[in-house]
Amino acid sequence: MSSFDIDNPAPRRHRPWTAVERAFAAVGLSGRALVIAAPAAWLTLLFLIPLAVVFGISLATKQFGKPPYSDLLTTGDGTVQLTLHLSNYVRLFTDSLYVAAYLNSIKIAFISTIFALLIGYPMAYFIARSSDRWRNILLMLVILPFWTSFLLRVYALTGFMRGNGVINQFLEFIGFQHVINGYNAVLGWAGWQMPSLPFVMMQTDFAVYVGIVYTYLPFMILPLFTNLVKLDGALLEASADLGGRPMRTFFSITLPLSMPGVVAGSMLVFIPAIGEFVIPSLLGGPETLMIGRVLWDEFFTNTNWPRAAAVAIAMLVVVVVPIMLLQKAQDAVQDTARTK
Amino acid sequence: MRRGWFLPTMAILGFVFLYAPIISLVVFSFNESKLVTVWSGFSTKWYGELFADPQMLGAAWLSLRIAAVSATIALVLGTLCAISLVRFRRFRGRTILSGMVSAPLVMPDVITGLSLLLLFVGMESILGWPAGRGMLTIILAHSTFCMAYVCVVVQSRLADFDMSLEEAAMDLGATPARVFFDITLPIIAPALVSGWLLGFTLSLDDLVIASFVSGPGSSTLPMVIFSKVRLGVSPDVNALASIIIGIVALGVFAATIFQLRSRPKKARA
Amino acid sequence: MAKKPQIAADTRPWRDPSAKPFVRISNVTKKFGDVYAVADVSLDIYKGELFCLLGGSGSGKSTLLRMLAGFEEPTSGKIEIDGQDMTGVAPYNRPVNMMFQSYALFPHMNVEQNIAYGLKRDHLPKAEIADRVAELLSLVKLQDYGKRRPDQLSGGQRQRVALARSLAKRPKLLLLDEPLGALDKKLREETQFELVKIQETLGVTFIVVTHDQEEAMSLATRIGVMNYGEIAMIGEPTDIYEFPNSKFVAGFIGSVNMVEGVVTEDEADHVRIRSAELGCDIFVGHGVDCAPDQILWWAIRPEKIALSRERPEGDANITKGVVEDIGYLGDMSVYQIRLDSGKHLRVTQTNTIRGNPDAITWDEPVYCTWHDNAGSVLTV
Repeated sequence: MSSFDIDNPAPRRHRPWTAVERAFAAVGLSGRALVIAAPAAWLTLLFLIPLAVVFGISLATKQFGKPPYSDLLTTGDGTVQLTLHLSNYVRLFTDSLYVAAYLNSIKIAFISTIFALLIGYPMAYFIARSSDRWRNILLMLVILPFWTSFLLRVYALTGFMRGNGVINQFLEFIGFQHVINGYNAVLGWAGWQMPSLPFVMMQTDFAVYVGIVYTYLPFMILPLFTNLVKLDGALLEASADLGGRPMRTFFSITLPLSMPGVVAGSMLVFIPAIGEFVIPSLLGGPETLMIGRVLWDEFFTNTNWPRAAAVAIAMLVVVVVPIMLLQKAQDAVQDTARTK
Repeated sequence: MRRGWFLPTMAILGFVFLYAPIISLVVFSFNESKLVTVWSGFSTKWYGELFADPQMLGAAWLSLRIAAVSATIALVLGTLCAISLVRFRRFRGRTILSGMVSAPLVMPDVITGLSLLLLFVGMESILGWPAGRGMLTIILAHSTFCMAYVCVVVQSRLADFDMSLEEAAMDLGATPARVFFDITLPIIAPALVSGWLLGFTLSLDDLVIASFVSGPGSSTLPMVIFSKVRLGVSPDVNALASIIIGIVALGVFAATIFQLRSRPKKARA
Repeated sequence: MAKKPQIAADTRPWRDPSAKPFVRISNVTKKFGDVYAVADVSLDIYKGELFCLLGGSGSGKSTLLRMLAGFEEPTSGKIEIDGQDMTGVAPYNRPVNMMFQSYALFPHMNVEQNIAYGLKRDHLPKAEIADRVAELLSLVKLQDYGKRRPDQLSGGQRQRVALARSLAKRPKLLLLDEPLGALDKKLREETQFELVKIQETLGVTFIVVTHDQEEAMSLATRIGVMNYGEIAMIGEPTDIYEFPNSKFVAGFIGSVNMVEGVVTEDEADHVRIRSAELGCDIFVGHGVDCAPDQILWWAIRPEKIALSRERPEGDANITKGVVEDIGYLGDMSVYQIRLDSGKHLRVTQTNTIRGNPDAITWDEPVYCTWHDNAGSVLTV
């Protein structure tokens, strides 16, 4: 070990980069501020200010011209005058169209979320309990549709559910009409008539439920999976050991412990479903009122920008509570993930 | 634990539900007939028609360019944001920044689109910029919401990052800039790649926001598709969808295989 | 495993008041917010030492080490290494290298690249880097592992790569943060030997942070015991064990019997302490800095107490009790003696006779005695 000569350490060679590196380091010190400032400025300009603008314009009124809304600030006689109109908000409460749209959005989002949960939970649980090899493959299968186009997936459903679509053709093929006939012969007289094939699914609320569940299912499964996969198998064994039957174990151990995942997944479906536009307009009928669609029509068809802005603000109010729930649930999911 | 029949059955039905519409879409893209759902023979003519449609091709090219630029901007800003949130534990406005960057994740698209449009209109009337709406305004809008996704992806990677790796490099004589390029960047690279891809896909897929902030002559691919399918089924959209699904499936498969390969082999004691 | 004492003067420079310290830590304090992680620590470390900072978690030992490496700046005070003030010197400009507790091996580089990383930062010629890496690999006996990635190595191998990497730049001072902490017990004992051997071969000054007192005792030339950010005691392992300066140090290292007592005689050459707990007088055969009637503590190691059935001669250092429990450990047995006061004494006896039929056994009344220099008188 003669070369490990402590008193003569390795000679430092000429370092051509030192100057550059020093410059970097000098920037690095103030760089911290820059690192924060760049995204902060961008988000302030393109997220925070736009929201303020929406709020501002929701207090204006529609007028013809460019831009198609009245100025909030008018100058005349050397004074600046601020004109705020609450009429847009008043209309939201008095016009049954808006009220119905809000209530219907909440109803559709809620029912879809429940269905997504009922379908997603067993799937997530199954994936979480499968062997390592299968788990990766199944997870990939859940994520894969998420990477394909949302719009095209909704479109795929239209081909599936229309009158001469895949489902109806399949039902006809397996002779489902006979089942319907038989059913109607038995129970039809009681008023529980079943319609004959083909089933009308498109342009109904049902299609919208299917659409939301179909497109947002990965959002339900993933947080549930993250939560369930951390679930300690020993807990389940302990419960079984103490005499808990599988059902009982599920309701007293698994379900309560997976609540953060349930809430996070549900909110991830519920929140975007409230403001959904594509699904109701492609799958829903003309009477499928949803608030996202109302906003769109208000803006593009009626060019009533202030009214659209007021609808947006009201929609924000509706989603604020779910967003806060989501935040809390996600922190909880993170925590369980971290302690493991 | 003994596994019953319930979970596997539900899981299989669930996957059938997820994949049946996609598979039928791909199958019917090879259908001879214009009727999208009635099989009348194998044909690739809709693919030919798709590639002969200048409107589709133009929109696709525009969308790809927008997605590439937006994903790149989002990557840079989202990474900076993630670094700020994970590394600089305490600074003024941290809560606001973290709220601002995660809000677009849950903000309904119609609100994001409307608010950005109103901003652009207002800016144009006050500053004269951006003059009109088109590719630039779409890029600005897409970068903003994509950066939220990049930030989340990079943030989780940085949170798992062993800080002593950076300290070790610094201890061995690397300056902060060197440490970043030698150690930090290579280690978070997978997160950056998936963040960029996520941004790219989301931008490519967005209909609602783009509809608000685009102008005449700048229709993105989803806008063209939407106007087509709104009027009814169109087989060339099936063809397009099949191509996209094919590319994505290949990409995800490749990524999964790569991930499984690069997984640490068992250490020999 | 501690360094063989050769000629006292040159192996123990800390005993020489005129020796120049290699690392001088003067009045260093580090506050995180309102919490003192390190409080007014002064410490001199000499060239070629293997100095152990020993303490529980939160004792400030790691913070002190990180200040030496330059990852933390002292709130006040000064650190000098080889006569050079380290204030404001960035970690990458210090003549110091560190071996991390987690090893911090770069996962995207193979073993050779890891070891070469510091050398590349110094822009050494390629050939020289290759030579040095080969040399280091053979030093830590990993010649055939150069192309492996860290995740393809076992824990012990990773530890050695980390050591090689931290030695690559021939630092004057090597800081080791729990270097053996992640290894299992058997491997740890083997590696201890190797670590000391490498340190002696290279003559580098080591500062080792550890919470494991056995590790500190067997590795160190000197130990600094830390508690609540302060240095509780600095000394050679024997000093720390045999002559602890406080209740904390006595209790932290090894096991100890501690009793309270009152000074009844305070002479220049001896002290007599009355202890109600012990049920007898303690005669200490040397002078102690104390006052009559002062309450103080007396600590004695379990192996310094003798057991007998007959009462030995003398009026002090003899107490009586009953064997309540015996723990047989093979090489020795641990006796739990209950004194009349209810106080328990822990006594160890070496099992020199195989299957001794005459050994003291359960429930026997016994006398405990000790030499008048066997215990330590502690005032704090």
